[in-house]
Amino acid sequence: MAVILIVEDEVFIREMAEMMIQDSGHHTLSASDVDEALSFLRSAQHIDALFTDIYLKTLVLGGCDLARQAIKLRPKLRVLYTTGNYVNDKMKALFVEGTQCLPKPYTQYQLQGCFAALLAA
Amino acid sequence: MAVSDIAASDIVETVPSALIILDRNLNITSANRAFYQTFRTSADETEGCLIYDLGNRQWDIPALRTLLESVIPHRASVEGFEVEHDFPTIGRRTMLVNARKIFRPGDHDGFILLAIEDVSEERAARKESKRNWQLTQSIVDTIRDPLVVLENDMTIVTASKAFLTMFGITAAETHGRRVSELGQHQWDVPALRHLLEKVLPENKPIESFEIEDDFPGLGRRVFNLNARKVSQPGNNAHRMLLVFEDITDRKQRERDVLSLTNEISHRIKNNLQVIVGLIAYEAKWTAAPCVQGYKAMQARIGAIAQLYDLISQSSRGRTVAVDSYLREIAKAMSASLIGNMSGIDIEVKGEPLEIDPDRAVPFGLLVNELATNAIKHAFPHGTGHIMLCVEQVGDQIELIVADDGVGMKDKGSAKVPEKRGSDYVAIFVRQLGGTIVPSKQEPTGTTVRIRLPLLLVPPGGAERVAA
Repeated sequence: MAVILIVEDEVFIREMAEMMIQDSGHHTLSASDVDEALSFLRSAQHIDALFTDIYLKTLVLGGCDLARQAIKLRPKLRVLYTTGNYVNDKMKALFVEGTQCLPKPYTQYQLQGCFAALLAA
Repeated sequence: MAVSDIAASDIVETVPSALIILDRNLNITSANRAFYQTFRTSADETEGCLIYDLGNRQWDIPALRTLLESVIPHRASVEGFEVEHDFPTIGRRTMLVNARKIFRPGDHDGFILLAIEDVSEERAARKESKRNWQLTQSIVDTIRDPLVVLENDMTIVTASKAFLTMFGITAAETHGRRVSELGQHQWDVPALRHLLEKVLPENKPIESFEIEDDFPGLGRRVFNLNARKVSQPGNNAHRMLLVFEDITDRKQRERDVLSLTNEISHRIKNNLQVIVGLIAYEAKWTAAPCVQGYKAMQARIGAIAQLYDLISQSSRGRTVAVDSYLREIAKAMSASLIGNMSGIDIEVKGEPLEIDPDRAVPFGLLVNELATNAIKHAFPHGTGHIMLCVEQVGDQIELIVADDGVGMKDKGSAKVPEKRGSDYVAIFVRQLGGTIVPSKQEPTGTTVRIRLPLLLVPPGGAERVAA
């Protein structure tokens, strides 16, 4: 059982993601923007993985910046990105090394499969 | 034999320049073979004549007279005096005259050695070259995009008016300097330097090298650089034309479109995510036999979202390139093949055809449905080959989705989800105005052929068929 921090600015999508992840037996923490997510990451809270949208509110690449800062704070943190935009090479270059991106719309099966693989690695 | 052993007369008869000897009264005492040949005359017609009386008195030029008449009294010399004249025997020529005083032993008056060189061709070539250069310069100045002409050593020979105006410099400030030295060294980019160095020796043009920087007086600009070798027929000297296309506005428009596309894509995908989430929520409280239907629904919503991305990537203005669209579909499907299905490969054979973006979604869904069926049912052992092919057949387009799997043995007993899949295929085919070509029962594999009207057009084709 892992603790996963979900960062998504759309409330309904965030709560659906929480439900999908909790259904596979994991705990979730939720944040709606970069600052909220960083306050979790800077706290003593145990977190195994970060699941972040890339386009956060007005920050087109907010999720990419967040993941970079998150890895600096917690080098062993696993990261999974999601986005509604086409993931081109320029965007991939901004990803933390060895991470993956699950494009929207994702199903509960795809999300659970991704975390099973990510946490087993 | 030493050079000093050669008689002066032998030398005089060998040199290509026309030589004549004049006495102190400027009468011709002798001339060499080259003189007679050049002016098509003879010793009888020449020797003893006053130089000014030769031919039609073409040498009777006041300025030359003054010069020649000062050679003996003042020990002066005439160097590089140019005479352009219509000579009676040889036509219009340009001659270069040199003269100096010489002495024979025992003769105190001295003589004048006059050397006459025919430089007509050289002068004509120089004039032609000047005319060409003026023509080139006026063409260069007419072109609206700033440009420079570079020498072999990368220094600027000339810069167009547009270049000087745009970058606020003078012709003198550019001439003889390297492009990399201009302004604040914005063009001093190693990759550009490397490419420029290949243009002349390897005849390798530069196409669309993009540079974005802050330029003094211009602000932030984006330039597209194009360079090619230019040469003049019959001239071995090559130069390079380097054109600076200001694409700042175009680039900004592209960035605005991209930003809008990303914003729209972000909203659409979030809305689709809400729908997929709603289905996930419903599936959670639904009895197991119905879950399969919800899963299939989510997968098709996923396919539409994916096609949306692929269309934006394959779009060439107002149309979508079918070949790259099919390749993107195959790539996305291959990426989704995991675990026991990873031995399936998808090949694409597509003619370079274009499709109306309005039809791209049903076309993509049709391909997606057929390929998904093949992945799901053709390969129970998880290995096999699927081919997606689009070709023009007469006035129709044929879409072929073929696999080398187990084939369709019990076509009549399709289960409900598969039945729905084939219903969707039929709907998409009807939507596109096409027909399914009946296929022969084959021992292995399945081939589905679908004929579609010419809603696809070849590149550049003006024909667009209505629905």
